[in-house]
Amino acid sequence: MSRDNILKTIRQNKPEFTPLPKYLEVTDPKPRRELLEIFEKSLNQVGAEFIELSLNEEIDSYLSFHFPEVHQIGKNGFRDEYSANCSKEKLDQIDTIILEGHLGVAENGAIWLDDSDFPNRLVPFVAQMVIISLDSAKILSNMTEAYHKLNMAGTGFGVFISGPSKTADIEQSLVYGAHGPKSLLVVIY
Amino acid sequence: MIGHSEKAAQFLKDENRADWHDQTLWMVRQKRDRAAWSVPEWEDLREEASQIKNHALSNLDNYLLQFEEKVIGNGATIHWASDAQEFNDLILRIIQKNGAKKIVKSKSMLTEECGLNPFLEKNGLEVVDTDLGERIIQFRNEPPSHIVLPAIHLKKEEIGELFEEKLKTAKGNSDPQYLTAAARSHLREKFLAADVAITGVNFAIADTGTVVVCTNEGNADMGVHAAKIQIHCMGIEKIIPGTNELAVFTRMLARSATGQPITTYTSHYREPKAGGQMHVVIVDNGRSKLLGNETYRNSLKCIRCGACMNTCPVYRRSGGHSYNYVIPGPIGSILGPDSDINKFKDLPFVSTLCGSCTNVCPVKINIHDLLYDWRQEISEKKLLPLSKRYLMKITGIVLAHNTVYNLSGKVARWAIRNLSGELIYHRINVWGRERELPEVPRESFKQWYRKNTLERRSVNEQG
Repeated sequence: MSRDNILKTIRQNKPEFTPLPKYLEVTDPKPRRELLEIFEKSLNQVGAEFIELSLNEEIDSYLSFHFPEVHQIGKNGFRDEYSANCSKEKLDQIDTIILEGHLGVAENGAIWLDDSDFPNRLVPFVAQMVIISLDSAKILSNMTEAYHKLNMAGTGFGVFISGPSKTADIEQSLVYGAHGPKSLLVVIY
Repeated sequence: MIGHSEKAAQFLKDENRADWHDQTLWMVRQKRDRAAWSVPEWEDLREEASQIKNHALSNLDNYLLQFEEKVIGNGATIHWASDAQEFNDLILRIIQKNGAKKIVKSKSMLTEECGLNPFLEKNGLEVVDTDLGERIIQFRNEPPSHIVLPAIHLKKEEIGELFEEKLKTAKGNSDPQYLTAAARSHLREKFLAADVAITGVNFAIADTGTVVVCTNEGNADMGVHAAKIQIHCMGIEKIIPGTNELAVFTRMLARSATGQPITTYTSHYREPKAGGQMHVVIVDNGRSKLLGNETYRNSLKCIRCGACMNTCPVYRRSGGHSYNYVIPGPIGSILGPDSDINKFKDLPFVSTLCGSCTNVCPVKINIHDLLYDWRQEISEKKLLPLSKRYLMKITGIVLAHNTVYNLSGKVARWAIRNLSGELIYHRINVWGRERELPEVPRESFKQWYRKNTLERRSVNEQG
């Protein structure tokens, strides 16, 4: 059987055991304002747009005022509308969708979303435009801190999204909207 | 078979294209530098990444077993394939068992290595590569010329003409924005119609059974979540222990590859979707044997970022297709001869051994050392062409004997000064091609040194 043969050859051939490295200590957390600034700079770099709400603005009322027509996953029954069994054709019709981000990473503008945020996994990719709301208290410094926070063993599917879908495959010219969202708006509250 | 130098000569005939290729990849290399410098602990991360890979390889069997157990526990199916043939058959069986016809695929160098596309097509299936660059070269019936930028050898006008024929785009329009939009709607149809989505794997997490796939376009996710069946194909060396290690690699991969802080999408697949199937295929195809080779096993640490290609002065000026091997550039020149030493014996010589590849490698593979080792091995096995073998022998004699060395220097200096250009730039002198030989000094360094130290000594003695 191939499995056993492969494992047998590996056992014969593998080098002497070497330990994992000692990882860099997670540094003292940076102040919230500083993390937010780095995060916003990264969003710029990866082609995402962002809005930072002022302290007295409330996220739900902001979104329903500015995007009254837009489906907010998890709100008003849209969870049922775009269920796991939803047809691909219907999903393909989604123009703009609002999702809630779990956490953001300052060093690269990536935002974590997973199965708990969308009943159908195609939603964040098939939409023409994606809006992600994110609590500024959930911005971490780097990927190491982010993975410490996440429970990978309990995640069926999860994704870090950093900016809109993009390609530079034609002469290295950057084009947004290769397949997925043509734009990504992050609303930070 | 035509070797690298002949193919490179063909590539260089179009001087403008060759210059563009060179400069564009250098620009990507510079973007990589800026991205790396933006992380103060970059060099520490490289060291960590290198040690993680060493560790994972030293415990590979156990991690694979742990991974297998988790994958099964997650409700997915695991498969093992010893070689390309078994791999292709296995994929075909999954497809046929489900009565599937339409397949979309995101980038996977492993499937290129195994020749999966032509195999499936021969069996009457439609396979659509969904990465834009891959779709372009698939239309042209070409292999990728770069592992991250598969269509970097093409100009937009050529792609415009290609799309005019294949996608009925407007004649003469080669605007990248326009062409990308045309490909977007063409591929969206394919995504929505597909029964099966195949992807490669960037990292496989042993302690959770998760596979991680990185794309900028989102094509892996469009395929995986739209199709009922998802198949992820990985070489045995993709295993890492857990998310602490994943953090190190997701910080380095895109920065090394394109200078982005991270790819747009870093997708973590652990469980199949409701009502769907998830398959993970583990492929050996020579890797477990390479693991036993103390000299070259380091090449198994490669995370396929392409940084060594972008920086390589020879790759930039000869194009990926010149290498003939599925993975071009410095790292491919180590992997190629390992897969078939006779077929790829010229590749380790396709390098200046400048070491730039080694300096940018995020997992610290000593690429240029390994290329040098291959050269030794290939010449010991007498696989060098006769001309090179005799030349080496003669050079050996000249360098080992003082008088012969002095005399040949004298002859060379005299010849360059006195012989006609026709003789010096004769076609048998490959060093005279495309370059002027330097003006030669009257005396050798040895003579100059002797004279000067003697003079200085006598001055010192007088003083």
